[in-house]
Amino acid sequence: MADTDRKDRAEVEVPMGMVHSALLEPFRIRLFVDDEVVVDAEITYDTAHRGIERIMEGMPIQKGLILTERICGICSHIHIWNGTRMVERGLGIDVPQRAHHIRVIGNELERLHSHLLYLGHAFEILGHETFSMRCFMVREPVQNILFVLSGNRVHYTIPVLGGIRPRADISHEKRQTMFSMIDKLETDLREFAARVLNDPFIVSRIKEIGYLSKEDAVKYGALGPNMRASGIDFDWRYKLPEYRDHFDFEVIVRDGGTVLDRVACRVFECLESIKIIRQALETLPDEDPTNVDFELGAMGYSTSYNEAARGEIYDSCALDEVGRIRSYINRTPSMSSLSAMEVSCIGDHLTDASITIASCDPCLTCTNRMTVVDEKKGTNYVMEPEDVLRLARRV
Amino acid sequence: MLKEISRKNAVHIMLVYTGGCNGCDIEVVNAVMSPFYDLEQYKVMLTWNPREADILAVTGPVTRKMEPALKEIYAAIPEPKLVAAIGTCAIIGGPYANLGGDLGSSDQIVGGVNKVIPVDAYIPGCPPRPEDILQAVASVIPILAGKR
Repeated sequence: MADTDRKDRAEVEVPMGMVHSALLEPFRIRLFVDDEVVVDAEITYDTAHRGIERIMEGMPIQKGLILTERICGICSHIHIWNGTRMVERGLGIDVPQRAHHIRVIGNELERLHSHLLYLGHAFEILGHETFSMRCFMVREPVQNILFVLSGNRVHYTIPVLGGIRPRADISHEKRQTMFSMIDKLETDLREFAARVLNDPFIVSRIKEIGYLSKEDAVKYGALGPNMRASGIDFDWRYKLPEYRDHFDFEVIVRDGGTVLDRVACRVFECLESIKIIRQALETLPDEDPTNVDFELGAMGYSTSYNEAARGEIYDSCALDEVGRIRSYINRTPSMSSLSAMEVSCIGDHLTDASITIASCDPCLTCTNRMTVVDEKKGTNYVMEPEDVLRLARRV
Repeated sequence: MLKEISRKNAVHIMLVYTGGCNGCDIEVVNAVMSPFYDLEQYKVMLTWNPREADILAVTGPVTRKMEPALKEIYAAIPEPKLVAAIGTCAIIGGPYANLGGDLGSSDQIVGGVNKVIPVDAYIPGCPPRPEDILQAVASVIPILAGKR
């Protein structure tokens, strides 16, 4: 986004970038402001490079799939599901319907906890700590449901080639427990959603800021809820046979394109997720969830797309004759949100920028990596988190 | 002396993310510090300022790029300080540092936190359960307060 001389000027002024980027997540946001109005924004991310795709080269596919889950601790299930799905597509492995249902349940629970995490962080940035804490309180039962389902709170590792792991199979007792937990969760969530979307403080602060037009959403590659909040009706769940043929749900599309729409889009998606989980539990087919009748072998280039909580995820790789990975490629959903973030804060007041950026993707809430460049005075400085929060709260 | 008195009322944790998968720091920030597990009931607060911190909690394997930053942060924390390595990656580098077989170790990752700064407490798990983190923190409060 930024032209070269602006970039050069600011690059000199980020000597504390590494120390500051140690906070929560390794992104650095640079906002170019002109009299407190953002004229340009730039996001750099480089510190968390672990070389996962390189590590996977030559690794047995079963081992590599476990590693895909460790790419992200928020959207862990979708990585391993999409990787497994890609190999199953490439080798033509049949997967029992019961396994598909349980994988869908895992994905929807993950969407719930990711969206609730997002909302909690967004309210924290707005300075509404009560709502933020209430949001984390609603989120914790989702983690408990995932714990009941799979035995772990963050890395569930549900799918395996040909089905699911036996520990994630849903027995009759587990199903009853999950039903009762989801009933409780839905009551809490509905109450919380009604509070959020009717709260005058929250709504007046987030409406009409961070506008992302439909054209810009297409141009800069916004995906997932960010795209749907700008009026584009697209969701991979409508295309995947796992979802399309078995579940009745709505894809939330809003035309506004503002921060309010992105927040509301996620709130309503949470309720749709609960609907899908309930349908999946009710219609769970009674069969062996894992097909072990297949042989690993050479596989040509295979791809798979899926709908993660934050957007589209893409995996591709090939296998050699003994089932080792060749050229694994993984494109994560957060990548697609970054450029949309840069464009959607342009033209807004500086105070709106932090919530705008957070509304695109919850990974970027650690705001003290911002460098503010005043174009008229020709100066720039690194903002402390307190400064940004004070500005955002308009005290 | 002053710090001893003040520590009876508040222990500050600084969380540093050195390039892991986010699982551990979300467990710390959003589970343990949230009202459900509520670490603040033991007067333990989260801070982002190293000069105010008593405990440095590190999550994730240390990437080459984060190594100088981590050293600088460690130097900025006043004595006496404790360092906790949270999660398998922070302890031994996890799957990213130890590639297995003849591949050896990764070029991108330095390894566990103890290769960069001295570590006092290890909390294993991928990620550790919130109960484990709670117990670990509650057990170091007497050390910090000079009781042990």
